[in-house]
Amino acid sequence: MAELTIVGKPITRVDAQEKVTGEAVYGYDLVLPDMLYGKTVFSTRPHAKIKRIDTGKAREFPGVVAVITGKDAPWTHGESIKDKPFLAHDKVRYIGEPVAAVAAEDEDTAQAAAALIEVEYEDLPAYLSPEEACKPGALPIHEDFAGYRKSDFIVTAPLPNVCEHFKLRTGDVERGFRESDLVLEERYTLPTIQHAAMEPHSAHAQVDPASGRVTIWVANDAPFRALHEIAEALGLPLEKIRLINPLQGGGFGSKGGLKVEPIASALAYHTGGRPVRVKFNRQETFISTLTRHEAILYIKSGVKKSGSLCARQMTIYWGAGAYAEKSPTVCIRGSLPAPGPYRIPHVKVDGYAVYTNKPVSGAFRGYGIPQGAWACEQHMDELAKRLGMDPLELRLKNVFVDGDLAYWGEKLHSVGLKETLIKAAEAIEWGKDDISKSKIRSPNLKRGKGLACISKPTRTPTLSKAAVLIDASGGVTVLAGTVEIGQGCSTILSQVAAEELKVPLEKVRMAPLDTDVIPFDASTTSSRSTYHMGNAVRLAAIDVREKLAEMASPMLEAGKDDLSFADGKIHLKEQPQMALPIGEVVRRRLGASGFLRGDSSYTFEIGKDLDLETGHSEHASAFYMYATQAAEAEVDEETGRVRLLRMSAAHDVGKAINPLNCEGQIEGGLAMGIGSALHEHLVVDETGKVRNPSFLDYHLATSLDLPKMIPIIVECPEPEGPYGAKGLGEPGLAPTPAAIGNAVANALGIRIYDLPLSPERVYWAIRRMKKKVA
Amino acid sequence: MKKKIRITLNGNVVSPEVPAHRLLLDLLRDEIGLTGTKEGCGTGDCGACTVLLDGKPVNSCLVLSGELDGADIVTIEGLQIGRELHPIQQAFIQDGGAQCGYCTPGMLMMSKALLDENPNPTEEEIRFALAGNLCRCTGYAKIVKAVQDAAMELRTRHTARQ
Repeated sequence: MAELTIVGKPITRVDAQEKVTGEAVYGYDLVLPDMLYGKTVFSTRPHAKIKRIDTGKAREFPGVVAVITGKDAPWTHGESIKDKPFLAHDKVRYIGEPVAAVAAEDEDTAQAAAALIEVEYEDLPAYLSPEEACKPGALPIHEDFAGYRKSDFIVTAPLPNVCEHFKLRTGDVERGFRESDLVLEERYTLPTIQHAAMEPHSAHAQVDPASGRVTIWVANDAPFRALHEIAEALGLPLEKIRLINPLQGGGFGSKGGLKVEPIASALAYHTGGRPVRVKFNRQETFISTLTRHEAILYIKSGVKKSGSLCARQMTIYWGAGAYAEKSPTVCIRGSLPAPGPYRIPHVKVDGYAVYTNKPVSGAFRGYGIPQGAWACEQHMDELAKRLGMDPLELRLKNVFVDGDLAYWGEKLHSVGLKETLIKAAEAIEWGKDDISKSKIRSPNLKRGKGLACISKPTRTPTLSKAAVLIDASGGVTVLAGTVEIGQGCSTILSQVAAEELKVPLEKVRMAPLDTDVIPFDASTTSSRSTYHMGNAVRLAAIDVREKLAEMASPMLEAGKDDLSFADGKIHLKEQPQMALPIGEVVRRRLGASGFLRGDSSYTFEIGKDLDLETGHSEHASAFYMYATQAAEAEVDEETGRVRLLRMSAAHDVGKAINPLNCEGQIEGGLAMGIGSALHEHLVVDETGKVRNPSFLDYHLATSLDLPKMIPIIVECPEPEGPYGAKGLGEPGLAPTPAAIGNAVANALGIRIYDLPLSPERVYWAIRRMKKKVA
Repeated sequence: MKKKIRITLNGNVVSPEVPAHRLLLDLLRDEIGLTGTKEGCGTGDCGACTVLLDGKPVNSCLVLSGELDGADIVTIEGLQIGRELHPIQQAFIQDGGAQCGYCTPGMLMMSKALLDENPNPTEEEIRFALAGNLCRCTGYAKIVKAVQDAAMELRTRHTARQ
């Protein structure tokens, strides 16, 4: 490969200027001419039949243009199970479910009118725990589940309220346990948490009365999937839907699928062609958009005295909430690697995604990996303790290395896991406890260190298309459907285009995202974009480069293969002074308004789909991301407060296309992971109501809560990736809580099985232990 | 009931007529059309809507327009010095202080308020000053670094002027 000029450099973001000046326009900022203002009415019951909705007073309120209920929107949607109505039909399944909506001339009017809508309910029993909801005899939350349209990969179970049952079967776990010297069984839990992207959710929609075309302006991270889902629900051909993506103020998984889009589009059918804006405020965003799966994990392992793992069995209950959303695929892709990145001959996993009467769960950065890691990685430390082994040593003995056959049947390559383990441990002076402990200021303060590692697959197979245009001024325009959600894709993809065309970065611009003109992309999820779209943009740039070389060949009187690119010019390899600016080539051939276009399409060819009975696949993922994080914590035995002293995070990214951006992703992931470890819990009370839907009561990590963070980039190149790159966005928070849990256990000698490690929980764990000892 | 108020906004005198209960945040975004000031919560918990009111940082979602007659307000749109970016803006770009960018305007205004009052803050003082400005993307490390770098640049400029 030729020397890289811009890939691999820590350049600043291409979108930073508009963000620091306030010029950037987000979905929440968008104002359309003549637009109406929407307001949603939400269910106040966790599970109830709707007896009656009285919209009379709202309709008569001055300034109201439309009032709609589920009767006006008889459509349902869902990624793999079509179970969710645009607005509740006949019954509600959680507090926060959209029931009715109003469009009015201004925000105050919409709000006042919405408050006049009366809904009469007949309560049904509510299920608030996934383990309870799937016990034999539990009543169905979805009576019509069997009749719903579902994707082919959905596996159901003969248990109530299970919307997906994932099975992994490798070897014979019973035999493995018999052959073990030590068998340990534990139960871990994680509560519901929320994405809390700083920009709340909103959508604008307009239906053109003449053509019936629906246009939606929404910061959705998978505009093409949303387009398909809306078209399918409305029974419209794809060309009747258009999505325009304004800038997104963070998403972390919450802004894929359909959230506000169905409400806005349903309203837009009743406004005589005027656009309508529906905004959720922070409270509505907390209760009515999406959450991360609460999970209950049973883990049982058998191990030899030498530390070799023999067998591992896991049963995982994923709390799906009231609708399936992405629960089936979170269940599959979270349960599959839950036993950890280890060589284990006998493995059995059962993952159940279970409906409950709580806010809907779905994609959340990490996609099921944080839940598995919270159980598996603490369990590993408990095994190490019983074996008298150092936790790092136990891991190094068992972790995946190149050439291993993973327990799901895939031969692994480019495994940078060991390097991440060693580097993350070194960064917090693993094993040098004496130095650290000698600094302790008070006998109540206990210090400990812990680490945790993960592997994470990406959604596979998926398709990314791209186009790259060169205009007569030498400007390069990239058409790519990857959404800038803050992760820096516009910078990364610009670097890729600039690299292949050898133009300065300032000459590259990303086209705005509009599904009418941008080529298809599967989604901006699953840490897939650098790899998939990076490849697509690279191939499109190569395509246009070849075309340009062909065009320049007669102009420079040289064969195509004798030409080379540098500094925005095409030149003779042997005589670099014989050069033409690339824009000049386009201008001479195609005129001043002409442009040259290259296209591409990239997908990783899957070996074989996941076997539904065994969970096996030769290629479960296009690539795997590996990471280890290590924490040093200080726990106050009198208050239960956990203070982090430092945290390292070593991530195998394949190749860092932009190291500055990689560091930002790692630090941001750590902060989110630390929040979920120490503070975050979306509390749903016994009546099904969210008790803390505000930033005052739902505690995100602030600038004061975070320790010194040590991001470490490990580069174990992926041969198929662009320049060797894998992905990075999602793993950042996955091992964090387990690493902290292990540090706390190391400090106190007490294992805490449930998140978050709030002062109260830690305090009581200490008290119980002291009572036991006494 | 509408009320006519006279305010200085980013150096210009404007006299909007607004309902007295209209929040400063909504006055800026909806009535005047300056959407650089962001709404993250509407309840004063996240700092995304921070602006400077008579030189002090406030959550504009907690200020009523009716109280503003005679006030001097600076928003993110007024942070630039002429055509040049303010050193804080420059530092956020350079250090990677913005990711999704939604908290950025509030962070920048809070940082400006801090540096106006304390030109040489310690890391702890920066973290304390920004503790009411939530960011879900960055983990704050690069934001803190940006404020440190901006502080140094501002001190250098100040010394050069003397």
